[in-house]
Amino acid sequence: MNKVHFEQLDETLYHEKLDNGLEVYILPKKGFSKTFATFTTKYGSIDNNFVPIGKTEPIQVPDGIAHFLEHKMFEKEEGDIFQQFSKQGASANAFTSFTRTAYLFSATDLIEENVETLLDFVQEPYFTEKTVEKEKGIIAQEITMYDDQPDWRLYFGMIENLYKNHPVKIDIAGTVESIQDITAEHLYTCYHTFYHPSNMVLFIVGSVEPESMMALVKENQAKKTFEKPEEIVRIYPEEPVEAAIKERTLEMSVQKPKVFVGIKPEVLDLSGEQMMKHELAAQLAFELLFGRTSDFYHHAYESGLIDESYSFDYSLENGFGYALIGSDTQQPEELAKEIDNTIQRALELWPFGQADLDRVRRKKIGFFLRALNSPEYIANQFTRYAFNDMNLFDVVPALEALEVQDLQAAFYTVSLESQRSVFTIVPPEKESE
Amino acid sequence: MFQTINIAKGVNVHVNETTQFKTINFSIRFKDKLTKEKASARSILANVLQHSNEVYPSHTALRMVLDDLYGTSLYMDSSKRGNEHIVTLNVETVNDEYLSETGVLEKVMNLMYIVLFKPNFEDGLFKPSIFEREKSAIKQRIESLFDEKTRYAQQRMLEHALPGHPASISPNGTIEDVESMTNEQLVAEYRTMIEENEIEIYAVGDIQPETIAAYIREYFHFSDREKPVSAPPLELKKPKEPRVLEFEVMKQGKLHMAFYTPITFHDEKFPIMQVMNGVFGGYAHSKLFVNIREKESMAYYVSSSYASHFGLLFVLAGIDANLEEKAVKLILEQFEEVKQGHISDTELDQTKALLTNQLKEALDSARGQIEIYDQYMELSETFEPEDIIARWKNVSKEDIAAVAQDISLEMTYFLSGKEEDSNE
Repeated sequence: MNKVHFEQLDETLYHEKLDNGLEVYILPKKGFSKTFATFTTKYGSIDNNFVPIGKTEPIQVPDGIAHFLEHKMFEKEEGDIFQQFSKQGASANAFTSFTRTAYLFSATDLIEENVETLLDFVQEPYFTEKTVEKEKGIIAQEITMYDDQPDWRLYFGMIENLYKNHPVKIDIAGTVESIQDITAEHLYTCYHTFYHPSNMVLFIVGSVEPESMMALVKENQAKKTFEKPEEIVRIYPEEPVEAAIKERTLEMSVQKPKVFVGIKPEVLDLSGEQMMKHELAAQLAFELLFGRTSDFYHHAYESGLIDESYSFDYSLENGFGYALIGSDTQQPEELAKEIDNTIQRALELWPFGQADLDRVRRKKIGFFLRALNSPEYIANQFTRYAFNDMNLFDVVPALEALEVQDLQAAFYTVSLESQRSVFTIVPPEKESE
Repeated sequence: MFQTINIAKGVNVHVNETTQFKTINFSIRFKDKLTKEKASARSILANVLQHSNEVYPSHTALRMVLDDLYGTSLYMDSSKRGNEHIVTLNVETVNDEYLSETGVLEKVMNLMYIVLFKPNFEDGLFKPSIFEREKSAIKQRIESLFDEKTRYAQQRMLEHALPGHPASISPNGTIEDVESMTNEQLVAEYRTMIEENEIEIYAVGDIQPETIAAYIREYFHFSDREKPVSAPPLELKKPKEPRVLEFEVMKQGKLHMAFYTPITFHDEKFPIMQVMNGVFGGYAHSKLFVNIREKESMAYYVSSSYASHFGLLFVLAGIDANLEEKAVKLILEQFEEVKQGHISDTELDQTKALLTNQLKEALDSARGQIEIYDQYMELSETFEPEDIIARWKNVSKEDIAAVAQDISLEMTYFLSGKEEDSNE
């Protein structure tokens, strides 16, 4: 077992890659009574076109299947796995994102039993046509629920605006129509292709003893047989740098219009150290331009252009990414214009120096230290970083190494006018205005 | 866990000295009686105070200082609990043990002092532009509730079921009260908050109780104040209509049901109600989840929750707009099962295990510790989590059936998108 101590953070991380390819990480947290574990596969909603394991030809699967599969993993011949976790005092859950599907539990007791349950239920698929059919009603209600949430529609509407071909533009849960096509056979195909241990990460954090826990995981895995690991062939379409749709408006039952300006980053094929550096640099650049200490924020808030719902975000994955800036506002056009102007001005004359960088860097380091109090944050983020060949615990040194020109360079990759798009949600009665 | 030091009459400092977290958390809570006028005033006040002050007269200036203090988070919020309205100053800062710099903690405490005691006054009033801006922020916050249909439906249901009752008063008050608030009134509210409100100050982190208490004594100068006489919980009156149907342009139907129970937080049967709620609809193994979601595939979410300060039990479900009647029938069938004591050993054990787990887990965050202690200390000043865990352990099926006998369905509220759909 490898052991890395992060002096500055006072954390020790234990790691081992098992014979079947599974990456196992254990991080003990002193003073905690709970343990949080995530078992994650690098398989998300964007993986809808791939070569199934043991085959040679790629297939296209129905939209929303990774999420559907996540739901169905909890049902077994003997019953619902939630019941098993409940008996063991654990609360279990799962989520599907663009790039991964995570199964998780947290518990303060019977940790070994719960880890076994987690490993076993994710590694024993059980799907029948009947149970697949039954799930469609539940997921249809989930999709309908999100359909009524303006903030989700705003977020997704923007991603649809930015991407022309890439499957990131497909809603993670699919549509009420697309899930009707999902069969048990589909689920098995996706399962066997993407749920191989070599495509997965187990992260256990909290009140855990590393040596004995690692032994337990190894023993559990040694009892099971898996196919030989194969490189997964995922197929993604060509994607232009320009935003697919410049501007779009949706009518919904909201009190006040909502607007997002979205930016599609230009550099899309980074991983590892380069990706970390770029992402952090871009995030700091956006913090300076659009954060709560920025001139933009000051003017926009004082003049009533934005309200408490204001947010901005920059996020990058392998193959896609986006920056989003927006708020509820009575003046969506003015706000979009002001955001545009802020970017243009920074392009013409980069307004930030060393003191600005130092300030936002300290803020980010502080945020990171705060986040390390949260086992959920550590497990989820560590896994996300690991799937992109980065190490979460390198964030502080990477931040410390950033220079002003790194921020500027990162900003240039998101600065073209053609990369931008505007999505607005308006209340129905305002339409005619 | 917490060590309590009395600073003045009605002002207590509670410190949990622990190395569990890499940060230090503070929470200063000002408690007052809940009315909608007060809720409006105090929400604006919380916003005005966190926006700027005499030393840092702009929002930007204040935020820059916080960034420099390693992104110390500082915000104020307004919330309610039972008949109380609580304004809280929340601060979280890194422990300077992890930094090359020292003295961060003292700077942060000084900032808390400035935020509370050095407001951004002009001629004895809050700076007018900021006063107006934050009034409008709170107005918009109240309005935005409409966009989140689940929360909106819950609020509508409460307004119909219990008009004017603390249960239906929003912690931000009403738009009308926000609009009519004057700067003079807000200044008066500020004085009341600082000089008369009961105050609980919490600190969690690697810090010594004496250090915090000494600092607060020296700088904060909180005077003695009377603890408000706690009024008995207001009676729950029967709603005018047992069923209310409203429409919005939306796809899903939102079913909200209100049940009344005579058992509140202060009742010795309170732990039984917690277990009852867990068995009925609190968890993924509960009767509602298993039967309405898993067996009938009718809903993605369906759950119950217990508002113990008011004696209310809610059921919430997102369902197809055409299925209201069927859903209500199925939910009531499950409630009848609980009432009859048709509860399996597994259901009972699972619920107790999860209640216990939830409580212990909540204590793994500083905010969770503060929330739980602030609440349970009302019951006993020497509250220990083990006490409540032990009381859950003793709950039997018969106990649950007995409390369920006194629970009555008083109102069904349905927010439907049906009408619009049929017009399309």
